[in-house]
Amino acid sequence: MSLAAEAFVSQISAADPWPENATLYQPLGEDQILLSDCASSLAVQAYLRMCNLPVQVCCRPNAEYMSPSGKVPFVHVGNQVVSELGPIVQFTKAKGHSLSDGLDDIQRAEMKAYMELVNNMLLTAELYIQWCDYNTAAEISRPRYSSPYSWPLNHILAYQKQWEVRRKMTAIGWAGKSLEQVYEDVSQCCQALSQRLGTQPYFFNKQPTELDALVFGHLFTLLTTRLTSDELREKVKSYSNLLAFCRRIEQSYFEDSQAGSSSRGFSKGPSLF
Amino acid sequence: MAASMELRCWGGDWGLPSVHTDSLIVLAYAKFSGVKLTVTPIDWTWKTLTGTVPELVFQASTVTEPAQILNFLRKQRFNADYELSARQGADTMAYIALLEEKLRPALLHTFWVDAENYASLTRPWFASRSPFPLNFLVPGHHANTALSRILLTKAESPLNTITEVEGKIYSEAKECLNLLSHRLGTAYYFFGNTPCSLDAFVFGFVAPLHKANLPSSPLQNHLRQLANLQRFCDHILNAHFSTHPGSPQPVEETVDANLQKLTQLVNKESNLIEKMDDNLRSSPQHKPLRSDPRPSRDNDQSSTPA
Repeated sequence: MSLAAEAFVSQISAADPWPENATLYQPLGEDQILLSDCASSLAVQAYLRMCNLPVQVCCRPNAEYMSPSGKVPFVHVGNQVVSELGPIVQFTKAKGHSLSDGLDDIQRAEMKAYMELVNNMLLTAELYIQWCDYNTAAEISRPRYSSPYSWPLNHILAYQKQWEVRRKMTAIGWAGKSLEQVYEDVSQCCQALSQRLGTQPYFFNKQPTELDALVFGHLFTLLTTRLTSDELREKVKSYSNLLAFCRRIEQSYFEDSQAGSSSRGFSKGPSLF
Repeated sequence: MAASMELRCWGGDWGLPSVHTDSLIVLAYAKFSGVKLTVTPIDWTWKTLTGTVPELVFQASTVTEPAQILNFLRKQRFNADYELSARQGADTMAYIALLEEKLRPALLHTFWVDAENYASLTRPWFASRSPFPLNFLVPGHHANTALSRILLTKAESPLNTITEVEGKIYSEAKECLNLLSHRLGTAYYFFGNTPCSLDAFVFGFVAPLHKANLPSSPLQNHLRQLANLQRFCDHILNAHFSTHPGSPQPVEETVDANLQKLTQLVNKESNLIEKMDDNLRSSPQHKPLRSDPRPSRDNDQSSTPA
């Protein structure tokens, strides 16, 4: 869809309130979803919960192909389909729900910059570890990614995805990096986030913003996902204020519904407690 | 540290010490941190095709990529971020990520993918700076790299074409320029009174856009409205890169700019005539006459150093 058309549609849809039956689609939580998709999906769920917008999480093996941008997660609201955190934030804003209205221009610039830091470093590192580290790709990513498909489609799709990610890594100059360098980048990124957070409850003091949702999505996933080595988890764990930050958001936005509803959809196993 | 460090990078033009973003970042950081670099332009050498630019050679080691070079210089105790707090260091990382994610795709598009800019500015410039057989290869090689990078990082599916992502990357880049402008405010530098690595990065990204005579650029038009970012670039150029302020350089620059405008006009005109020719197919005898002098004039003009 062109930008003009998008803007037009969001203007029209602005009038409608948030419906009760909004749905978030992601790949199968137990057997299929990968680190990076899980992090993005959790970030969107955290954001919607912070906005107090109810959403039903729905796992589909073909979620990636259902998404208008080819990336998960995406939300289906009324007759609109929007994918990824950035566009979803704009979409909810058009409907009158925003977390960053209280920020001034400089703070907003800072928030956007840190969000790009997370995308540029953490998301890229997750993709690198998933698809460019030989062991992780062979033991975790390819089998999980292709789990819903039968032979030979499973191999074709998994290798196609791996090839695609590797081309992207080459284009941005990450192909030559070693796993150690990538861990070091993650560590640097966490240090920057930790410095920025300091002793505040959220990045911009009392109120959470989309930045908090994004950081939570990635760090919580890194902390709770089992990979071939524990090094990444240990690196994140060494920043105590980030750990406390993840716990705080889990407690205030995810605890209540854990009792019975399936609205989280995200595999309940991992928890920081 | 007695041995001198050598930096290989693309040469300067348009009133800039280098026309290449990554080279500019390193050059600016070197000025800010006070390191003495021997700058060796790669122009007219085979390095234009084979070398990775910018490249720092010190004793036996070579370092590439701006971020790595800056780290290397810091280890050699040339640190421009000495006075920054840890929080400001974190901010620096975040803003650099913002530039890389939001501004770089649009910048690559403006210089290498946009047909009009590529044909009348980028291709002639890089062709005129490459040695004989390479002048046919170098611009195309860079343009292909730029296009595939944009498509791989910004296209939503592998089958998307460039026109589908153009709108998105330009609106993101304009937003990025707005954010930088808000962050800079009325200050001379991003953190306090001394320039640091973030200033070097912003300068490297914004200065080519500010100085180049692009025939078509929505991004440059947008930058024209952000006076503080333009002033930021001019201030760094005056304070750190001009050897003797008030020299005849600016005069030359305006002459150069006028010449460039003239060339653009001639180019546009000949393009128009070409189109008319194609449509009418009535005056074939003009073709050999016109197509000959044009490229040579182009090259003569664009190779004049600023």
